[in-house]
Amino acid sequence: MSYLILLLLFAIFGPTMRHDYLNPVASPLQPPSAANWFGTDEQGRDVFARVAYGARMSIIVGFSVQLIALTLGTLVGVIGVFGKRWFRDPLMRLTDGMFAFPDILLAILIIGVWSTGLVPVIVALSITVWPGVARLVKTQVATLKDREFVVSARALGMPTRLVVTRHVLPHLTGILLAVSMVDLAGTILAESALSFLGIGVTPPTPSWGSMINDARAYINTQPLLLVWPCAILSLTIFALNFVGDGLRAATDPRNR
Amino acid sequence: MSSSIAKNLGLRLLYALLSLLFISFITFVADEISPGDQATILAGEKATPEAVIRLREQLGLNRPWGVRYVEYLGGLSRGNLGNSFHGTREPVVDIVKRTLPMTITVATCAILLAAIVGILLGTIAAVSQNRLGDRTILIVSTLGVTIPNFVLAPVFVKIFAVNMDILPSGWSNQLAGPVWMYLLMPVVILAARPMAQITRLCRASMIETLQQEFIKLARAKGVPPIRLTLRHALRNAILPVVTAIGTNFGFLLTGSFIIETAFRLPGIGATAIEAIKKGDTPVIQATVLIAGTLFVLINLLVDLIQPTLDPRIREAQV
Repeated sequence: MSYLILLLLFAIFGPTMRHDYLNPVASPLQPPSAANWFGTDEQGRDVFARVAYGARMSIIVGFSVQLIALTLGTLVGVIGVFGKRWFRDPLMRLTDGMFAFPDILLAILIIGVWSTGLVPVIVALSITVWPGVARLVKTQVATLKDREFVVSARALGMPTRLVVTRHVLPHLTGILLAVSMVDLAGTILAESALSFLGIGVTPPTPSWGSMINDARAYINTQPLLLVWPCAILSLTIFALNFVGDGLRAATDPRNR
Repeated sequence: MSSSIAKNLGLRLLYALLSLLFISFITFVADEISPGDQATILAGEKATPEAVIRLREQLGLNRPWGVRYVEYLGGLSRGNLGNSFHGTREPVVDIVKRTLPMTITVATCAILLAAIVGILLGTIAAVSQNRLGDRTILIVSTLGVTIPNFVLAPVFVKIFAVNMDILPSGWSNQLAGPVWMYLLMPVVILAARPMAQITRLCRASMIETLQQEFIKLARAKGVPPIRLTLRHALRNAILPVVTAIGTNFGFLLTGSFIIETAFRLPGIGATAIEAIKKGDTPVIQATVLIAGTLFVLINLLVDLIQPTLDPRIREAQV
């Protein structure tokens, strides 16, 4: 948890605190020094600033995707239970259909026919994440629907929209928070994977994935260039999974 | 009894067929919404707007999309995936035929490795629960799930190709040695994640099985430990593991996008990434379509295998 807070601070202050992340500041491929804590890359850019900016990109992509996917998924999930039949059923079939695509294949298709860059990556990843959220919300809401407090609220004539926002959704915040934490790890991983493949965030904007890809060419001369983004990415994924699992265990009703 | 099994089989087939239709529809729609259609690209940058419109009419692109979707499906059923936009305008089918075997070979080797090692380690961990062996296996498998394969790939290259110099760092057109040497690292790295998942799942499933009454009875009757583990416990614990192997195999086919790029393997994943960078829409569509189709077919296969492994599912379907 403390690692994640540190990472967040790193992402906010890191890029501005040190050097320019886009332009050379010293001679290329230098080892770490007092001026350039993580050394410099093949163009003489400060690696510390670039890794920090990469953290910022990961967090921007990760949070935007989670926000879009959570909103859309929750909406669809609620409609899947309370919606009108003619609208609900086709929507749920569409959601099921989305599971026919493995992993990031759909994201690759969307980026492939659209374009690379920050916005396509966010949209493409959101589209791959929301069906999972929708399915989770739907099963949760379906069990809540028959609980006494929901039934009585509806019997008293409360509009469905209010029942959902006042009585149903508050019960989901815990589990959604936990799940989105683990999903966040997956999203950051997927963003890095896309950048690694060269179809993610457009260079020269740094991203951990593209930094790993670029560093492979200098594996003999400056292996440290590879170590920084790899280590921080792995640590981040590990920390998010760890905290997410903990949250899930804490919010799981079966454990109470 | 047989009629209900047939009905279940029919439902599964129908569901798989619908999934395939959905995938084909999405890949078709993807082309529709992409900026710039076939005509603008084929006509070239210098073409006049009139020339583009004429070409669009020639290609039949001005007809309603419903008609063209049916035509697209018809083309697919005859194995026609269109032509590449670039180079010699090679038919996409030929590109797929050239690159798919590599991807399938690597993915199959990886899943076999993952399954064998995963089940072995999972069983060992379960039998020695909470002791040193179990702890070590758990930690390593947690790392295996956490560390992404595009981080593992350069690290492995550094260790085995650069420092130890015993394996080649990537594919080349002139292979200087047996093919397996070139495939060894990609297969091991691709296998890492499913291997770790299968290990964890197999361990959990085995621990649960080992606590059951019939195991205690068998042990009390004096069944030798190895026979007890393999014949009595593992046979019962393996069912969720088989499901995991199936879903993982599907994911491996997409995981190959990264591995093939990292090791320059001439497979379908690397081809797809090249196509995206060049804006070669027919190739992108075809690769997504094929990877998606394989995913659906493998999941169907797993659904069909399960009842033959577990009599309880067979009974439940009656």
